[in-house]
Amino acid sequence: MKVFFSLALFLLGTVLSKTSFAEEQAEQLFNQLKPSLFQIKLIDKASGEKSSIGSGFQISNDGIIATNYHVISSYALHPQKYRIEYLDGQGNTGDLILKSVDVINDLALVRRDVVQETPYFQLSKASPHKGEQLFSLGNPHDLGMIVVPGTYNGLKRESFNDRIHFTGSINSGMSGGPVVNKEAEVVGINVATSGNSIGFLVPHDKLVALYDSFLKAPPNSIEQQMTAQLMASQNKLIETILNSTWQEKQLGEAAIIPIIDVPFIRCWGNSNADKADALILTAVANCSLDENTYISSNFFTGTMEIEFRTMQAKDISTNKFYHLYQQQIAHANAGNRADKENVTEFQCHDDLVMPDNQAINNKTVFCTRAYKKFPDLYDVLYLAASVDKDQQAIVSHFTIAGVSQPNALAFTRQFMEAVLWK
Amino acid sequence: MEVTTTDMPESLIDNDEIAENQSLIEKIAASEIIIEEISRNHKLLHRHRLSKPQIHIGRDYHNDIILDDPHICPSHISIDEIDGQWKITDNQTLNGSYIENKAQKKRPANEHIINDGDIITLGKSQLRILFNHHPVEPTLPFSPFESFINLMRHPVVLLSSLILFTLIAGNVFYLNTSKEVNFSQLLVPTIGMTLGFALWPAGVALVSYLSKNETRIMAQIGISFAFFNLMWFSDFLEGVVKFNSTSDSLAALLIVLISIALAFSLFWLNSYIGFHMSARRRLVVAASMTLLLFGGSYLVQYSNKPDFDPRPQYNATIMMPSFLISSSASVDDFIEDSSKLFDKTKQEAVKE
Repeated sequence: MKVFFSLALFLLGTVLSKTSFAEEQAEQLFNQLKPSLFQIKLIDKASGEKSSIGSGFQISNDGIIATNYHVISSYALHPQKYRIEYLDGQGNTGDLILKSVDVINDLALVRRDVVQETPYFQLSKASPHKGEQLFSLGNPHDLGMIVVPGTYNGLKRESFNDRIHFTGSINSGMSGGPVVNKEAEVVGINVATSGNSIGFLVPHDKLVALYDSFLKAPPNSIEQQMTAQLMASQNKLIETILNSTWQEKQLGEAAIIPIIDVPFIRCWGNSNADKADALILTAVANCSLDENTYISSNFFTGTMEIEFRTMQAKDISTNKFYHLYQQQIAHANAGNRADKENVTEFQCHDDLVMPDNQAINNKTVFCTRAYKKFPDLYDVLYLAASVDKDQQAIVSHFTIAGVSQPNALAFTRQFMEAVLWK
Repeated sequence: MEVTTTDMPESLIDNDEIAENQSLIEKIAASEIIIEEISRNHKLLHRHRLSKPQIHIGRDYHNDIILDDPHICPSHISIDEIDGQWKITDNQTLNGSYIENKAQKKRPANEHIINDGDIITLGKSQLRILFNHHPVEPTLPFSPFESFINLMRHPVVLLSSLILFTLIAGNVFYLNTSKEVNFSQLLVPTIGMTLGFALWPAGVALVSYLSKNETRIMAQIGISFAFFNLMWFSDFLEGVVKFNSTSDSLAALLIVLISIALAFSLFWLNSYIGFHMSARRRLVVAASMTLLLFGGSYLVQYSNKPDFDPRPQYNATIMMPSFLISSSASVDDFIEDSSKLFDKTKQEAVKE
């Protein structure tokens, strides 16, 4: 009994000492890193009040601070309206200058004036291993700097642009804060959360690349730099998609649709087969790129959606079927949010189109709108409705945001030839 | 001109008999006078033809023309023929009497020598005095529309137009309802729609009744529904054209012109049936109504249009395969046509 008691005590003791060790470690890390952590504030010049907040961390001895692009996006787009300010652990504030951005990976470099050399974060040389304990730092909801322990769970599999899956609560305001390993080296940057302790981080190598290219050649203009990044990203995306296999798949009773075999495009399906009173039997397959690029709170790009819908008439006349079918295709909308400041209105072209293989005859609509700040990038929308069968139909539809003309047309061509009747 | 004719030297008149006859006619003519009671907007209410040398007008019952207007005195005015001329005498009335004509402004009527076409105001009533040589408008021939209107108001034709309209409306409801519907569910909105559309001819007929024109409600209903049915047909035609044409073609514009022409014709016939007016005025009225309809609906659309529309506006008119008449383009052609949009939007982006 005595032995058992002491064993229990020993076990309890080890558990206690283990938690206190983690706490101690976090506390120690926090104290060590605190001087290089900042709250980043965007101050509206006219009102003198802050319009958005985030976190940032110094990565060089000459005052370069890394944060998220979305923390300072308003300044990047309207530099005359805002200024960027930092607040350090001692309550000191000062102005920051925007140096460089990576809009695709949501990163930005800003610089503060330093009088004496200050400690700064070391960027890790290697990626963490799965299950490794990491510490996320930041200032959630303007409540003060905190440290949140969590676990590295590898890269998010479905993402086109790499994101680390981090198990730990990241909250708004922590955006732009660093995530470090036990050696206090930065392995990621807080960027997003999807609730319930699922957080996403930008891998440290993106920051390394941005910083290196900044050291080599600082950008002439942030807007040009963003244009070039958006252009390169959509080139990479469309090239990957066009060079992947497009699997033929049957949808409904007689339609063949393409399923693009890449992990970052995920498909979902639904049908109304359970509704006995439906006049039209509908099956829908919906595939989309599960991420987007934040430009401003009113403007997102980099999205891609593909939708196929087959319809089969049940005991209704062809005329009625086509009337109801027309209602289904009347309200296609853009896949991304955009406003007047950033895009033109859509212009559309429609025609009856039959591919050379004569496998289908579609009423086809193609619409596009141009970006105002990023020349030669467009949002496109495509909609084709088959008009050659009396009692069945297939609608094929896609939207791509932030794509160049040649890429948009190349994708459209391949897409048009891939949808057909069996 | 008239003055020079009467002032002509007598030697120029080579037939004395004619001159004598003429003076005889004038004498008879002078003793006859036509007095019209007219409304404020100069519409005829009553017409009196009198051949007495003295005419009494007032509110009490021994007058030749009895006017039921509380602002008129019992013996208001008298008109006397003196040497072939008619003279007004105002019997020192409370509210007075006034005279006006096209040439002169309103002035007191007492001691006034009446000219053809003069209008006398007494109390709140108006009288127009005409002599029997007053010119009349030339006779109007029956317009070819008259026979068309008569056909449309024929009970059988009228009923068929109404039934056709109701059937089409019911069919449109049926085709656009995404649930299963039974006959009675269709009946209520269909009858409602027919009654709603019948308000238009009924309204026009009411206005023509109120403005003292012939009501002719059956003709209005017949014509209106004949045109409503034509408009259904032009809607259908528009669908076929939009389905078969590409966005670059002008055919859709042509169809809009057809519906404008239909509306104009309907308004023109409505006013032809319901109101007496000059041909020019009728054109102006019909054109203004058409402008009001199309311009008004355009204005409503325009004012509801947001400053920036994030949604694409496209033509997605589809019809069943049997209405497919035009041949399809190839993928290459479509890509080629679509590529032109990029330059268009880019220019717009640069412009702003």
